[in-house]
Amino acid sequence: MMKRRSFIQTFAILVIVGLALNLAPEADSLPSGIGGQSEKGCICHGAIPDSGVTPSITGLPDTFTASTTYTLTVSFTGGPSGTDANPMNLGGFNLAASSGTLEAIDEWVRVENGEAVHNGIDDDANNDGVDDAVAAGGTPITSGNDFTSWTVNWTSPESGSTTFNLAVNSVNGDGVASADDKWNTMSVSVSGPSSGVAAEPLEPADPFVVLATLIIVSGLLLGIVILYTFYRANPDGFSWEAFAPWITEWLTSTDHKKVGTLYFLAGFFFLGVGGIMAMLIRVQLAVPGNDFLTQDQYNQFFTMHGTVMIFLAAMPLINGFANWLIPLQIGAADLALPRINAMSFWLQPVGALLIFTGIFSGAAADTGWTGYAPYIVSETAHSGTTMWVAGQIMLVASSTLTGINFLTTICAMRAPTMGWMQMPLFTWSIFVANLMLFISIPAWGVGLIQVYLDRTIGTAFYHVASGGDPLLWSHLFWYFGHPEVYVVIVPAFGIISEVIATSARRSVFGYRSMVYAMAGIGIVAFIVYGHHMFTSGMSPTLRFVTMLTTMLVAVPTGIKIFNWLKTMHKGSLIYRTHTLWALGFLVTFTLGGISGMFFPSLAMDTHLHETYFVVAHFHYVFVGGTVFGMFAGIYYWFPKMSGKMMDENWGLLHFLTAFISFNGIFWPMHKLGVMGMARRHHTWFVSVDEYTNIPAEMASWNLFISVSAFLFFFSNFILIGNMIKTIVSGKKAPADPWGGWSFEWMCTSPPPTPSFDPHNLPVLHDANEYHEEEPGKFAQWFTGLMVPEDDSEVSH
Amino acid sequence: MSGDHDYEHHIEPWGPHDWSHGAPHNSFAPLVMSIGFGVFLYTFANIFVMGELVDISSMAGVMLGFIIITLGLMIWWRQDMSFDGVYEPKGVGAPFRNIDLRKVAMWIFLMSEMMVFTSLFSTYIRYRLGIQNCEELFLSGEWVEGTTVTCFEPAAHLIASSWFHLAPGAVNTFALIISSFTIVLALKTAKMSNKKYAKKYNIDKSDVDAHRSRKVGVFLGSTLFLATLFLTLKLIEWFIGFPTPGPLTELNHGYDSIKSLYSEGYTIHAAAYTNVHYDADPTSKYFHIPADSALAMMMDAGTHPGGVMMADIRVSASTFYVTTGTHGVHVFAGMVGLSYMTFKALRGGYGPSNAVSIEYFGLYWHFVDLVWVLVFPFFYLF
Repeated sequence: MMKRRSFIQTFAILVIVGLALNLAPEADSLPSGIGGQSEKGCICHGAIPDSGVTPSITGLPDTFTASTTYTLTVSFTGGPSGTDANPMNLGGFNLAASSGTLEAIDEWVRVENGEAVHNGIDDDANNDGVDDAVAAGGTPITSGNDFTSWTVNWTSPESGSTTFNLAVNSVNGDGVASADDKWNTMSVSVSGPSSGVAAEPLEPADPFVVLATLIIVSGLLLGIVILYTFYRANPDGFSWEAFAPWITEWLTSTDHKKVGTLYFLAGFFFLGVGGIMAMLIRVQLAVPGNDFLTQDQYNQFFTMHGTVMIFLAAMPLINGFANWLIPLQIGAADLALPRINAMSFWLQPVGALLIFTGIFSGAAADTGWTGYAPYIVSETAHSGTTMWVAGQIMLVASSTLTGINFLTTICAMRAPTMGWMQMPLFTWSIFVANLMLFISIPAWGVGLIQVYLDRTIGTAFYHVASGGDPLLWSHLFWYFGHPEVYVVIVPAFGIISEVIATSARRSVFGYRSMVYAMAGIGIVAFIVYGHHMFTSGMSPTLRFVTMLTTMLVAVPTGIKIFNWLKTMHKGSLIYRTHTLWALGFLVTFTLGGISGMFFPSLAMDTHLHETYFVVAHFHYVFVGGTVFGMFAGIYYWFPKMSGKMMDENWGLLHFLTAFISFNGIFWPMHKLGVMGMARRHHTWFVSVDEYTNIPAEMASWNLFISVSAFLFFFSNFILIGNMIKTIVSGKKAPADPWGGWSFEWMCTSPPPTPSFDPHNLPVLHDANEYHEEEPGKFAQWFTGLMVPEDDSEVSH
Repeated sequence: MSGDHDYEHHIEPWGPHDWSHGAPHNSFAPLVMSIGFGVFLYTFANIFVMGELVDISSMAGVMLGFIIITLGLMIWWRQDMSFDGVYEPKGVGAPFRNIDLRKVAMWIFLMSEMMVFTSLFSTYIRYRLGIQNCEELFLSGEWVEGTTVTCFEPAAHLIASSWFHLAPGAVNTFALIISSFTIVLALKTAKMSNKKYAKKYNIDKSDVDAHRSRKVGVFLGSTLFLATLFLTLKLIEWFIGFPTPGPLTELNHGYDSIKSLYSEGYTIHAAAYTNVHYDADPTSKYFHIPADSALAMMMDAGTHPGGVMMADIRVSASTFYVTTGTHGVHVFAGMVGLSYMTFKALRGGYGPSNAVSIEYFGLYWHFVDLVWVLVFPFFYLF
């Protein structure tokens, strides 16, 4: 009985949510819709103002005196007005004053809602050039349409300044709204006597200054946090003599845990910076025709947002987890090559600095994170593009060194008795991700070097005039780029497998199939990248092949989803914060996966590509997949890393606010994309007559998305606050707070250095498979090929 | 297996490192070297912009970058100098049980190097097969004097004009193959047990260390010399050129020098490339033009006026210089490593206990050699 009731309740909630999603777009925030006449002029004649029409206002004083009436003449020249034989139907106007009162003088002008507009409808239905009223023998109705100049009275306010917004239409007189009809707007400000409190209008904010300021402030805050951490460690020893060795230890450490912490610091810092960029982008997109970011600035913002989020936030955070946990999970004292590991890390902040030189010089890369040729090698691309490429080259070097390190560690340093099929799934995921990255990233590195040389010494790899092929860049990029997106999602799979298995208090369902599914993703990743190039003119045969292989990706991913569900099914789930995030991941990642299945379908892709549907899809998998997975990982392993328990109430609040606001951002984007809102465009317009614009009823969704975006941005500060609070005053964590059984829970929280005694490595007692099966047939054959080193007798 | 791991034993991050305490040991090298790479990439982009020499004074910045990288390497090596095989961590997991971790890491590293050159060859194949060959275009007669055509001019076509032109590349091939041999000799000498060594060279056991140090140093030094020879010949071939001695002039079509590729006009900048092969002077026709080619027939029929074909070969030159240049950078990296190793060998740094360091460098060196064996036919012969 209870079960049935809860089912009805769930069903009712789902119905309400569904109804809300469908009805909400009807709820416009303004009765006239956003971007009404008073703000942007009449837009019934095309979406874009035409510079051929010149509006003007005469009679305005330079400085007005309080409460004085001025007679203003509003007129326009240019446009199609008067081209028709019809002397009527010349045009119209709308004048809005931010303060003071407008009053009509001419009878063909009226004041409506405080704004002056032309009066009357030209009454010439048969279009014979004679007013119908005159033709009928009556008095002509003077229509405001028949003029190109109008007069109004304006009574000035007591003080402050007034802004006049004027919109004019110039029409061809055929009485039908057509594409020939043009319009334009102008704006003029007049200041008056200042009152006691000066009401000077603020200078419009330069988004670059906003961004640079916020980055510097974040950097300072980070510095303060670091100093505070040092102070907390020993409040009495707060001196340079004590600080210098402490900071030197962090700058030079090769310990995998310290390097991991550095990765986390860098990752969170850039997650914040990328988030700030996203917020500025959402400010720009909140209302139609916005000019907060210019087209040029917008290009730089979305380029840097993508680059920062993928290469400077997601990858370092993954490396943070990997650094911390791989040696702990496989029972190794440290990584195979600790100094190389430190090198991998330090290349990243220096590379980031290069990438950011453009932001601080105001000419950052504007190529998109894909950096498509030939634009990237053209002189029109910003000067910061060269530094963007240089920074990426350093990140490629970093990833290569990371790959060497982790592949060696996982291949060769598993504790005795831990065979391949006893490795925890997170270790498996890092192994698969690093293998993919390692094999694919050199291709991109070579492409980047080619572009760097094209942009500096002037080679001609991508100069079309000399025979260079822009598609070659696309191939080199996406050969890396597609495995790269799996590189950032597969570690999240690993985290979720750990979290769900521990939370369900049983071993993961179908361990082997999980491993094979990940390996399958790793292999298929290399033969699907063509779907990024469906509209680039690729051969139809190849398009068909990549369509099939791309759809194939859903199979291993689906296996993983069902295995997670099945793990919970016969388990006994406890709801910790990390469990909630893992469940949230299952929902959002599955949604992202389903929307992803639209793209391999060639016909659908042609329609949906370059729209917000794409933006919605990859944010559902990047944020709803990778970031949610990493949040789960943070709540799961933070006690292990810091030795303190996190506050679960804050965690719950973080989950609820972030999960809801995240869906608020990206779910409506699907709809916007289907309606045709184009991505990578700096603004959008509401209209029905041009196909690039979106219908008026969709307008409010953009504002809704922007508000949700700010909620999501700020909700993540709950996590930061929670982490700081935990470090300062958290409860001490036991070695195994959640009941996990992989090696990392066997050492204390936080783990000692070395993590395990190299002379007494741990022995695996519980695993998903029997030890007798290890090493497997392949490993036995491979071991036979290996010649053990014969220098064992000389080393002691 | 390995030394005592004393993790409380903190070595100063500038080195030298006491390897008997095992890892981890702090190091400034990663931070310093990263900053050096950043300075290099930043200032280099200020010197040239889109092929224009903009600011030569930034060369100072490039030098600074190199100095910082060298400083980082010095720190790294200072810590490494004391390495005598005491701390040689070995694999414990299947299938790499009892295999040195450094060896596994080196093989994995070579996997990514393989992908680097695969990508470069992909670029080469795309352009070589995708852009019409200059000679074919010339003989087809589908060009007029004064209008630039885009075509692919393989460097091999230029180099094959004379045996002497091929000489630097050919000598280089042998230099690299011999250097692969000398590094194996260095490994063999370093690895031999003291007893065997004394017996082989008929010396007293107490003299073995000094004798061995000198000998390993000589073999590593020879490798370094051959690598230097390789890069020197490459510079001559690219930028300098060389004279052909008197008696040999006859064999060089009567020319007394071989011009460098650069002065032949085979550059990334030249918007128009002309070469004696593409000069269809009506007075000396048929010298380079086969009589059965479309161009010869058109010239006979009077429908083609002949003249000089202007060819835009920037893509072919870029592909040639960057692919062989990337290989050259790998040789240079090897030279940097070899300088250190020779120095260490002469100070008695390599003996049977840590000879494997030479082996692992040798893996890299053989790989560089192998790449050249592929680069040479594709870019110099074919």
